[in-house]
Order: sequence, then C-alpha cells, then structure tokens
Amino acid sequence: MSADIPSSEPASASHSDAMLVERTVAGDQKAFELLVIKYQRRIQRLIGRMVRDVDLVEDIAQETFIRAYRALAQFRGEAQFYTWLYRIAVNTAKKALMDLKRNPTVSENSFKSDDDDETSPLENELTSSETPEAVLASKEIAQMVNAAMDALPEELRQAITLREIEGLSYEEIAEAMNCPIGTVRSRIFRAREAISEKIKPLLENQSGKRW
Amino acid sequence: MTPTTQNRELISALADGQLAGVDLSTALKLCESDEQALARWSAYHLIGDVLRSPGLAPQASDAAFLMRLRARLAQEPVLAVVSDMTGLAQGATVTVPERQAANDARFTWKLVAGFASLAAVIAVAWSAGSGLLSPSTAPQLARSEAPLQQVLVMSERGPVVRDARLQELLAEHKQFGGLSALQMPSGFLRNATFDSSQGERR
Repeated sequence: MSADIPSSEPASASHSDAMLVERTVAGDQKAFELLVIKYQRRIQRLIGRMVRDVDLVEDIAQETFIRAYRALAQFRGEAQFYTWLYRIAVNTAKKALMDLKRNPTVSENSFKSDDDDETSPLENELTSSETPEAVLASKEIAQMVNAAMDALPEELRQAITLREIEGLSYEEIAEAMNCPIGTVRSRIFRAREAISEKIKPLLENQSGKRW
Repeated sequence: MTPTTQNRELISALADGQLAGVDLSTALKLCESDEQALARWSAYHLIGDVLRSPGLAPQASDAAFLMRLRARLAQEPVLAVVSDMTGLAQGATVTVPERQAANDARFTWKLVAGFASLAAVIAVAWSAGSGLLSPSTAPQLARSEAPLQQVLVMSERGPVVRDARLQELLAEHKQFGGLSALQMPSGFLRNATFDSSQGERR
C-alpha cells in the first residue's frame, strides 16, 4: 500500500489532523510541528520521486511545510489535511524544477529524467548525499520493525495491523476483535511500546540522541 | 523526563486521533513541552509509516530537518493571537470555520453563473404569469439593461455578487411565492416558503 498517494483515512486520523490545524491557526506553532513530524517522511518521499538531489528534496520539503503553514488559514477543512499538503508539495516541487531549469548553473543531475518511472521506490536510488551506511541503517530499522511485529503476541499484532495497515478506527477494531475500545487502545499502545523498544537503539545511533 | 506509562498511552491514542477533553489537552501539552514525549509521537508515527511502506524508514537527516524547520517557523508570524486558549486547552470542541480559500475566485464565477441562471428562470416564470404583475414591472424584465449596481459581498459562504435590480425582483417575487400552491396571494406564508431576507431588502 503506497503511503504517498493520498488515500482515505479513518475519520479519527482526519479529526486528529483537523484538531492540530485548528490549534496552529489559533497560534500554537508546536501543534504544527506535530503535523510536520507525522508527514515529513511521506512528503520527502513524494518529492524524491520528482527530484533526484537529496539536498534539494529537503529544501523543497521545507518550503512545502512553510507554505502550508502560511496558508493554513485558507485550509477549508473539507479535504483531508494530507491531501491538501500533498498538492502543495507537488506544486512546490514543480515550481522549484521550473526555476532550476531556467538557471543554467544548476546541475542537470538535480532532476529526475522524464524516462524515470515515478513509481520506482526511492530506496533503490543512491544519491551523492546518501552513504551506504545510512542506507543500511535505514533498512535495519525497517527490518527491526518487522521483526518486532512478528514477535508480538497475536492480539497485539492484530490490533496494530488493523490500525496501521488496514486503517481501521478504534471502534471498527473493537468490533472486529470483539473487545472493548479501551482494550483496543491498550493493545495498540503496548504493541507500539514493544516495537519502539526494539528500534530505540537504532534510532539513537542514527540521530545521536537518546529518548 | 521519561513520560509515564499513562502519558505514553495518551500520546499513542493522540496519534490515532482518539482523544478529547482533558486527555487531549494533556497529551498535546506533553508533546509540545517534553522532547521525550515528542520522540514518542515521532516513533509511533514512524512505526506506522514503516509498516505501511519500508521505504519510509527514517533517514539520518530527519531530526535535522525538524530543527531547521523550527528555525524557519520561528521567523514566521504567529497565525493568530488568542488571548484565552482555555477552551482549546480543555479540549473544547472546535469546529473548523469556513475560511476563504485561495481558489474562491473560481467559486465567485460559479455563483455569478448561478444567479444568471436563476434570473433567467425567474424571467421565464414571470413572463408566464405576467397577468399578475403590474405593467410597469414586466417591461423591466423584458429589457436587458446593465444592472444599476453590483456589489461583491463577503458572506459566510464566501464572496457573493449582489445585484440591486435582481434583489428587487426576488423580493417582489416572494410576495407571490405561495400563489402556485393556494391559487391566491399568501403573504403570510412568505417566510415559510422562502428564506426571510428582511435585512437585504432595499
């Protein structure tokens, strides 16, 4: 399931985003940071399909979030926040590419070739800014997440799978698993905790920070 | 300070949009004031991203990205100043108000087109029941002349083009709004048949 193409999210996730948007518009910039953390990777991956240069990808992603922040007052709330953010990212990337094409000093390597398949996974491309070690570390984290999932008790694995992969709401999961909503919430939390503990050392090594 | 188990569970539920009221405000305060709580928020979303797509595994630059964005956001003007955020802090239900969107100009033209269609329908209906109208009114409908005044008015639904002549015609038409049902003037049913717009009548 592609995480870049906007798909319908359960109402609870949209409500969460709408709530953070509302707080941001009311003056709470920290609320916007929560949205940035949530969507940063997806936006960078989306832009990475259009632009080859990793540094440029980050610049465009930064610009995307700044533009989204400035335009939040105009966000009508009828579309999902990520759908709206997705469009801003695409438009920002297109504009950046057009500006670069007019600038003869920029290397042509910044652009994706029109022949490139836009659906090719980013992880298959090694840019000048990505070291083999960084790519390996990223893959290790992904593998650890999957290994931690496999090690979970059945009810925890089922709960987090229904939530994260199938996109069901707590109410729907409770119905599917025939248990109270509070139990669903607890199981998802415990699953996340178990996986977090496994990947924590890898994340700390990667970022140099402890949490 | 490591968030307590209860607080971490709140952050987990927050990530799923499942909080309201005091729990919501507590979780938001945690994420906004405690770096370790923020790290939990980040980790929970990371887990979801990786489960859905391994290509979304974190990059070494993720933390640096946020730091850099924070610095840029600090230079941006705060979107709004709210003197009393008690309602938000307590997780009061806040409906997202309708705001003028960047593409509202397109809607303006759609509204104008809608009014033009409405005017055409009224003109046809009026000419069909022209016996009920004063002779002085019907010729005015038959004439196509430039409106005396068009005003762009901001309403709750966005920009609306107000045409003084059209408003007059609509107001007069409302007088006969109940006629089709009762076959007699029924001004007392005016409000029940049409929206009251006393404030807009000239």
